[in-house]
Amino acid sequence: MKKVLEGSHAVSEAVRLAKVQVLSAYPITPQTHIVEALSEYCSDGTMNARFLLVESEHSAMAAVIGASSGGARTFTATSSQGLALMHELLHWASAARLPIIMAEVNRALAPGWNIWMDQTDSLAQRDTGWIQLYCEDGQDVFDTTLQAYRLAEAINLPVMVVLDAFFLSHTFEPVDVPDQDLVDRFLPPFSPRIELKTSDPFAMGQMAPPNVYMEMRHDIQKAMEQVPDIFSRVEQEFAAIFGRSYGPVERVHCDDAQVIMVVTGTVASTCRKVISDLRSQGEKVGMLKLRMFRPFPTDLIRENLGSVQKVAVVDRNFSFGASGIFAQEIRAALCNRNGHPPVFGYITGLGGRDVTPEILAEIYWKTKNSALPENESVWVGLNE
Amino acid sequence: MTTEQNFPEKIPLFISRSNISTELNKTGSWRFVRPKYHEKTAPCSAACPAGEDIARIEMLSSQGRYRETLETILLENPFPAICGRVCFHTCETACNRSGLDEPIAIHGIERFIGDTAVRDNLTFSLERLPDNGKKICIVGAGPSGLAAAYFLTRLGYSCDVFEAETEPGGILRWGIPRYRLPDAVVNAEVQRIKNLGVKIICNTRATQNFLEEAKDRYHAFFIGCGHGRSLKMNIPGGNMALDGLDFLNRMRTEKTESLNNGTAAVIGGGNTAIDVARSLVRLGVKAILVYRRRKQDMPAFEYEVETAVKEGVKIMELFSPSSIAQDGGEYILTLQPMKRSGMETDTGRARVVPDGETTQALRVRRIFTAIGAEPSEPWQLPSEENAETVYLNHCAFMANNPPFLFGGDLTNPTKSVADAIASGKQSAMALDIFFKKGLNAITDRLNSCLVGNGPALSMERYLDGKRSSRNPDMVSYEDINVDYFSPAPRIKAESLSLSKLMNPFDEIETTFTIGQVMEETRRCFNCGICNACDNCRIFCPEIAVDLQDDQRQINLDYCKGCGICVVECPRNAMALEEEV
Repeated sequence: MKKVLEGSHAVSEAVRLAKVQVLSAYPITPQTHIVEALSEYCSDGTMNARFLLVESEHSAMAAVIGASSGGARTFTATSSQGLALMHELLHWASAARLPIIMAEVNRALAPGWNIWMDQTDSLAQRDTGWIQLYCEDGQDVFDTTLQAYRLAEAINLPVMVVLDAFFLSHTFEPVDVPDQDLVDRFLPPFSPRIELKTSDPFAMGQMAPPNVYMEMRHDIQKAMEQVPDIFSRVEQEFAAIFGRSYGPVERVHCDDAQVIMVVTGTVASTCRKVISDLRSQGEKVGMLKLRMFRPFPTDLIRENLGSVQKVAVVDRNFSFGASGIFAQEIRAALCNRNGHPPVFGYITGLGGRDVTPEILAEIYWKTKNSALPENESVWVGLNE
Repeated sequence: MTTEQNFPEKIPLFISRSNISTELNKTGSWRFVRPKYHEKTAPCSAACPAGEDIARIEMLSSQGRYRETLETILLENPFPAICGRVCFHTCETACNRSGLDEPIAIHGIERFIGDTAVRDNLTFSLERLPDNGKKICIVGAGPSGLAAAYFLTRLGYSCDVFEAETEPGGILRWGIPRYRLPDAVVNAEVQRIKNLGVKIICNTRATQNFLEEAKDRYHAFFIGCGHGRSLKMNIPGGNMALDGLDFLNRMRTEKTESLNNGTAAVIGGGNTAIDVARSLVRLGVKAILVYRRRKQDMPAFEYEVETAVKEGVKIMELFSPSSIAQDGGEYILTLQPMKRSGMETDTGRARVVPDGETTQALRVRRIFTAIGAEPSEPWQLPSEENAETVYLNHCAFMANNPPFLFGGDLTNPTKSVADAIASGKQSAMALDIFFKKGLNAITDRLNSCLVGNGPALSMERYLDGKRSSRNPDMVSYEDINVDYFSPAPRIKAESLSLSKLMNPFDEIETTFTIGQVMEETRRCFNCGICNACDNCRIFCPEIAVDLQDDQRQINLDYCKGCGICVVECPRNAMALEEEV
């Protein structure tokens, strides 16, 4: 049934329908609405689940790590400073191979205090072993959350479902919320491969000396490498039941494009309009939306961007002293290919500043009119 | 199940985990202190003259286990519906919850249980020793005599209670006004005692001759006659004042003459004076209470004084009556103003002395006195001739042949219904110890049955009941882990408005509803007793708390003595002790 939901509540509805058993979270704007709704569902019996109250995000992650080790389906959500505080345990969750799902609402890091959209918080966690999926709209958030459970439980790795602060988390859109029995068909109960039980106690996470540690890490990478294949099968099943699929990347007008703009999150929606306008003016421009960031879809990047004339990457994030993080990753994916295109990196929309159609058009024209990038990163929309 | 359920087999999953059970690692060997379940005494329980196991009573009520609640009360007190109305609830003053917000409404909850037992005719089982063939004569069917009969019967004695009045109850029936304690409540709880097999013989005034003759038929006597004769005011015209206790007695039996629109003075500051004044208000009389000391010095229970004032009783403090004169159909009461002299004494009452020469005159229709009472016959007090007498805190034991016990108001430190019950209980235990082990054993054996450090006695302990293992250590507010409790307002029973009653002598306070009891009992800390909250088990990092058939046990093979269970016990029902 279609409901008008804000992005945050699209997450909450998906978590409810996923029959999550243990939740723990610490409130932080702009994540609060997600867990507010879920804590009500837990207290009024809508969900048969325990919501564990904790004093910090560090403890929230610790709590779901414990619950997931015990074989429960788990959920948490956070943003910005909260995610940064979880950092230590993000590594733990993935190395313990726990299929935890976390909604991460992209928000800028302080100081100065800023509660608005910025991707640096989640991208700074790219090496923690979490799968990261970036969402464009309310339906995407809902669907991705459900898919995340199938994916995580199949490969035993945690998944971060990432959504833009306010532009997505607090925007109301029609979202198709299916009946429970349909969701149950897609997402059976969690049957853990490793489950800590009091009746059969064993130790987890103890010392791993040099003779085994590397193999454990190699296994995480082997699991990551299987993600594209398994994710596509998860999406096929999802499509068979719900009639929707997205893919790790989405191509828009890429076939004959001379310049392809790489975007993520809600900027993709704005970019669709810009592309369409530019196309009507005869410009050969395409868009590649990145939905999956970890594992990085290197093959798809090479396939879609390898032979284009120019690539323009829009980053709402920055790695200080280097460049935009998406641009770095795309350059790295392309650099071992002969005749790869120049990658133009643009930094814009930090700390919630609007990324308008004009800014995206400016990025296009800058790219089209330059033979090579003037800098590794060009900051667009700075106040004079 | 879909084909994709086969995914996992293909995914490598090499993590750091043990191949063997961690049960091999007996972490108990690390321990140098060990936790134990260690139930302690709640301060309410120790403050209750009847020694009721209040923390447990509140816990059982909060779980809706009313039959067990009733049984727990009846172990120590035969009169929950009566005490739930007239007790002065020292339990609430002692309540640890005051440290957080307000004490638990223990009094109101007891009344609810007492009323529920009567209304629903709750059946209960009560431990009773086999008949030992001994017969006891009890003089006076007031609260102490009835309590003595109740406890003695449970200890295997058969009891006959002799009562001078037409019906049993004593002060409960003849002294306390109906609006505080309706007849039906007294009848129902006296019936419970009769049902145990106690014979109550009314209209039989015991005399010295009667006792002399009865010595052949009974193995022991309990005298609980109370204060039968009121004290008179020794001032000019003092004989024109009416006796307050007699007035209350007549209110029970007959309609008193109308005193409409008149004013009456009541002299005294005790509970009887308050009862007289409140009864007068109900007859449409303007009641003025005259007390020679300050209001806060009144021996009447504070709550009663406040209620009286709310109902319209006027209090004149620091006035002492100096004479009464008749004037037409009315009386002139001359009052000497008093003032405080010196500091307050240990009893909290300041001495007062006359303040100046100027007196005040009060014109009233009636004057009532309620300035105290005394026993009506000398034999109602223990005599020290020819016998070894042991004075205990709630009774006196005269080791005659047969032995005589004196209890109730005549021996009690505080004149209250709860103390009368304490007196009946102490007498019953003392007599049983005397018959089994002799006079010298009484004190030690009684001391082994104290609730906490006393003075209340526990019949449950005397009978070696389940709760005998309760430690006398008292739980203080500091011992409670208040992180587990949020402030919540104390529930108040609805108080009816005097003007809206059908009959002004109808009961003015209402009984809690079941919902109110649920809410209020959940506020209780349940100090020192386990209410199966399961925190110890949930928090144990070694999962060393085993739960079987609702019983928790610490598995010492794995308990490493961290003490988390003890800290997380919200109610101090656990303790840590050093390993030996």
